[in-house]
Amino acid sequence: MPPRLDELTMARRAASELQPGQVVALGSGLPARVAEIVPSGAPVQLLSDGGALGYKLPDNGEGASGPSLCGPNGVSVALGKDGSVVGTADWAAMLRGGHVDIAIVQPARVSAAGDLLGWTTAATPGLFAPGRTVDLAAGGRKLIAMLPHTSSDNSPNIVTESFPVADGRGCVDIIITDIAVMRVEDGALVLAEVAPGWSYDDVVSLTGAPLAPPGDLKEIAPSLESLNIERPGKVFPDGPSAITDLHDGATVMIDGFGGPGGMAHHLLVSLRDRGTRGLTIISNTIGIARIVNFGTPAGKLAIDHSILVENGQVAKAIATYPVSPSASRPSTFELAYRRGEVELELVPQGTLAERLRAGGAGIYAFYTPTGAGTLIGEGKESRVIDGKDYILEQALTADFCLIRGHKADTLGNIVYKGTSRNFNAVMAPSARVTIVEVDEVVGAGELDPELIVTPGMYVDRLVVRPEGFSPYE
Amino acid sequence: MVEEKERLPREVVAMRVAKELPDGGFVNLGIGIPTLVSNFIPDGSVVFYHSESGVLNCGPLAEEDEQDIDLINAGGQFLQMVPGMAFFSTVDGFAMIRGGHVDVTVLGAHQVSATGDLANWMLPERGVGNIGGAMDLAAGAKQVIVAMEHTDRSDGPKVVEECSYPITGKGCVSLIVTDLAVMQPTPEGLVLKEVAPGWTVEEVQGLTGAKLIISPDIKEYEL
Repeated sequence: MPPRLDELTMARRAASELQPGQVVALGSGLPARVAEIVPSGAPVQLLSDGGALGYKLPDNGEGASGPSLCGPNGVSVALGKDGSVVGTADWAAMLRGGHVDIAIVQPARVSAAGDLLGWTTAATPGLFAPGRTVDLAAGGRKLIAMLPHTSSDNSPNIVTESFPVADGRGCVDIIITDIAVMRVEDGALVLAEVAPGWSYDDVVSLTGAPLAPPGDLKEIAPSLESLNIERPGKVFPDGPSAITDLHDGATVMIDGFGGPGGMAHHLLVSLRDRGTRGLTIISNTIGIARIVNFGTPAGKLAIDHSILVENGQVAKAIATYPVSPSASRPSTFELAYRRGEVELELVPQGTLAERLRAGGAGIYAFYTPTGAGTLIGEGKESRVIDGKDYILEQALTADFCLIRGHKADTLGNIVYKGTSRNFNAVMAPSARVTIVEVDEVVGAGELDPELIVTPGMYVDRLVVRPEGFSPYE
Repeated sequence: MVEEKERLPREVVAMRVAKELPDGGFVNLGIGIPTLVSNFIPDGSVVFYHSESGVLNCGPLAEEDEQDIDLINAGGQFLQMVPGMAFFSTVDGFAMIRGGHVDVTVLGAHQVSATGDLANWMLPERGVGNIGGAMDLAAGAKQVIVAMEHTDRSDGPKVVEECSYPITGKGCVSLIVTDLAVMQPTPEGLVLKEVAPGWTVEEVQGLTGAKLIISPDIKEYEL
């Protein structure tokens, strides 16, 4: 048989799958070596389960490294200019919430149906020992398995039979081995590429599963062209240009407590000017800043959700504090509600926060005691756990999210100011398109990665609030 | 009749509640009388205030010329920046509540039942109400104290056998402090522990919608 590919060539083949702007989670073993291939300054972010997002190998020359920054295989890594530090719950939320574009793992074996058997589970018969593999397998939008084509005894690692215990079922999209690249299509394997000198029959002879021949068998010759393309820019010139695809009937998240802060006022005005209708607004309050009037100069009104309600753009609100604290001073929303023009779903504040977090973190639903035995619990699934009543609450997501941040870097990493962090930081990961209005955009590397609250992976667009813009009108 | 008798001022109610706050505890104060509690923390005691707006260790309100729209409490009022403040997202702010890290919350109420059900988010005649953080505080804080007037504007009882208004939480209230009495909801019923100076047990019972169990060591309001 011709020679097999070495590990770095396999890593190079895996790296050729990466596209600009993508977030890539690397498991231990062969996948960790992909970091050696990704050039310094490449337009992708590597995520390690040790808590480094946007990491590089120290050899690649960017940033400081040390034992406090842990990559796969337990090696010390450095943060790139776009990097930030995340906790383990954040790491899991990034995977489970579908924010990781590609996950690369090294399983012990893969089945023809794309089932995956992790090393630790394979090595401990009768014991399911998934570690992080289950999350990587379930979480990445695209899953690449990298492994030697055969075991040390030359038995195939790609097999027909399914595993009694698996770390993932039907999750593998691409298999990269030291002799071939295969795709899992409709539960069957298709040979896509072979190592130089290898034939279809050679590969089939070492594969324990039927392997469909491709129309056109290519030789593995990875190109890293896509890693030289600049990642798509996130900074938009102004509010209107950042919401051109915000469509009628969209669900939009917009923060807001009782005060005038914490809201993306410029984006709110842009949305009013756009006139988009039939909106469902997810927010803490809906037009309360204007009513309570704190800090509003004489003769002015606070810009808040009321401007959308007034303009007939809102069909429904999902909120915790939707109406004025005083019945004698009703908000625009309350008046519209009484006229039957808008719907309201009332949610306890902590439940709203958790539903949003769940939405961003890929959790479908959760049990909470908040609201049990009240109107909020009516019609919801409930159960008694350890003698206490709980109700089931479902995750919330949205089409768009208009966030008020303080500073961003060009890659979308966000820091907030004071209490304006509250719901903004919760909403950012939970929408399909997250647009952030900030006071200032700085260069990558100018924000302290230890202090990033919302990593750029959650942020699609940035708008700088116009100079001198007032939250009152 | 009792109409003429003087009830305790709101400040005294707040002062009585302040005695219940643990030294070094994390406390969330609602709007109304609860807000006043922070003025009466005993000398030598420290209390750390939590606000649903996303800040821990909040202090006094800001002067008018120092207002910052990015520094507010849960009611939207502007806060002063004080040393040791910590900001966090709403998920963290409510994990503190729901995870049982807030020692005491002091809330106002429309009604409280003899078994500690709390109704404070909606008046049925309005048809719509604000929940805000109330249900989470009711379900999650280690201790829920209600501070309120003993009766409503038409002198109807706010302490009742069973709430007729939509409730915020079941059996969550551990202490009720009003301008007439201090009461403790228990599974057996409502225990009257203290009465306001100049008031008799019978007078308090007359303004209370639930049968009071008189504590064996009942005393005058103790400040």
